[in-house]
Amino acid sequence: MEEQKTVVEQAKEELEKRFSRTLAVAASNLCVHCGLCVDQCHYFVATRDPNISPVAKAEQVRRVVKGEHDWLRRIFPWWTGAKELTEEDLDKWVEAAFRNCSMCQRCVVNCPLGVDTPLVLATARGVLTAVGKAPEILVQLADAAIAREENLEFFKDFYLEQIKELEAELQKKVGDPEARIPVGVEGARFLYVPLSGAHTIMPAAEIFYHAGESWTLSMFEAANYGIFLNDPVRSKRITERIIREAERLKVQEIIITECGHAYAVSRWEAPKWFKDQPWNFRVRSILEVMDEYIQTGRIQVDKSRNPFSVTYHDSCNLGRNSGLFDEPRRILAACVEDFREMTPNRERNYCCGGGGGLVAIPEWQDIRLEAGKPKADQIRATGAEAVVASCDNCRHQLGEINEHYGLNVRVMGMAELVANAIVPNNGKK
Amino acid sequence: MSETIKADLELNLQGLMCPLPVVKISQAIKNVPVGGVIEATATDPGVMADIPAWAKSTGNEMLKVEKEGKVIRFWVKRLK
Ligand code: SF4
Ligand code: SF4
Repeated sequence: MEEQKTVVEQAKEELEKRFSRTLAVAASNLCVHCGLCVDQCHYFVATRDPNISPVAKAEQVRRVVKGEHDWLRRIFPWWTGAKELTEEDLDKWVEAAFRNCSMCQRCVVNCPLGVDTPLVLATARGVLTAVGKAPEILVQLADAAIAREENLEFFKDFYLEQIKELEAELQKKVGDPEARIPVGVEGARFLYVPLSGAHTIMPAAEIFYHAGESWTLSMFEAANYGIFLNDPVRSKRITERIIREAERLKVQEIIITECGHAYAVSRWEAPKWFKDQPWNFRVRSILEVMDEYIQTGRIQVDKSRNPFSVTYHDSCNLGRNSGLFDEPRRILAACVEDFREMTPNRERNYCCGGGGGLVAIPEWQDIRLEAGKPKADQIRATGAEAVVASCDNCRHQLGEINEHYGLNVRVMGMAELVANAIVPNNGKK
Repeated sequence: MSETIKADLELNLQGLMCPLPVVKISQAIKNVPVGGVIEATATDPGVMADIPAWAKSTGNEMLKVEKEGKVIRFWVKRLK
């Protein structure tokens, strides 16, 4: 009988599988320990703890990678800092990679050598997931998304009934008994992928109605917890549900709701994962769609309908990772009277602290809220009455830091803001 | 009249949005014995797809769902 492998052996094997040229560069001696990234990380800014600076976190993993791959280690282990992996290291990696890093990429933007610290820590996440040391709730949420497809029949009727109720609300709101929230309509132009929650369906439905858009929902939601685990098998399975629906319904575009990680996965990862499949559609964020509607006059908006001061939080996945900086600002210019940039913003914006799956891990709420302090300070400094975020994870976190730091602001989604500003035209283009 | 299910723990998830109902149920299930039941109420329609899927993938059982106006009431049994 084959002997059972130890956790450390399994971890080393997984690390080996994930070893790539990019990781080799990120994990090699490229980092010159200049320390410039240190105060770019919101964890460090909030805690001043050097052990949770980007370089210190990455170094824990780098030392082990070097131990396996840097030939110099054989002669000068003390010089390369190479280290043999232990189970204790793995437990420390859980803290470094899952608890103390939200994968926000801010340190990468600010590293003069472009060292990809989150890539190193994401690799650790993948290794920890493979050896059963990832946070249980992230695994459960990813598995639940997969089980959702397998148990479609169980909740289908109830889900459709819920959508009918939302449709009745929409009809009342827009004053048109013909207004629809379509589900599974073949040949629609857009497959709109919301999250599991009415707040991601209703404002979008209202905007699509006023734009006279041809759209449909499917039975699936956008969230992909597999990506927070850096587990390619789970993340692909979750995304595949949506890709298959897009193909089955023959839509022209997949429109992802206001969710940073879901957009980044569908826009950047999925085309690589499913490159052998015909991609007869493109993927956009609803942010891009709202911007297009406003710029082309397809919906009319009136900024006096949002008569309060507003600041905007750039979600790391939509902004730094995807470059959606101008779209939200054009929308805001059209939909609010008093827009106030927070400082810094765009690619230098601070993470709210809720990314990387952290909002779903109650055990780490304390550090998450503490690491949210730079963001709280940024919001407070604007004096704005409302903060808009185009990502649901950010909205959860901003809601909590709003309460925790007594900011007394309204936390809103962009679609909600646009829906408020729309001048009704009864669905006529 | 529906059959009454005896709950070991009651949970109010009203007003919470995804993924928090799943997160709370996942935490609470550890506080009931194997064979024990959680009775929860929620308002977000997403729970109707998420909770059965979570129960299935974690090897627990969603016993029943009822709707009272906007409030969704459901029972989850801990199986392991
Ligand atoms: S990661 Fe980049 S910024 Fe940070 S210490 Fe290394 S070289 Fe300097
Ligand atoms: S990715 Fe963000 S949270 Fe992680 S180390 Fe870099 S700055 Fe800090």
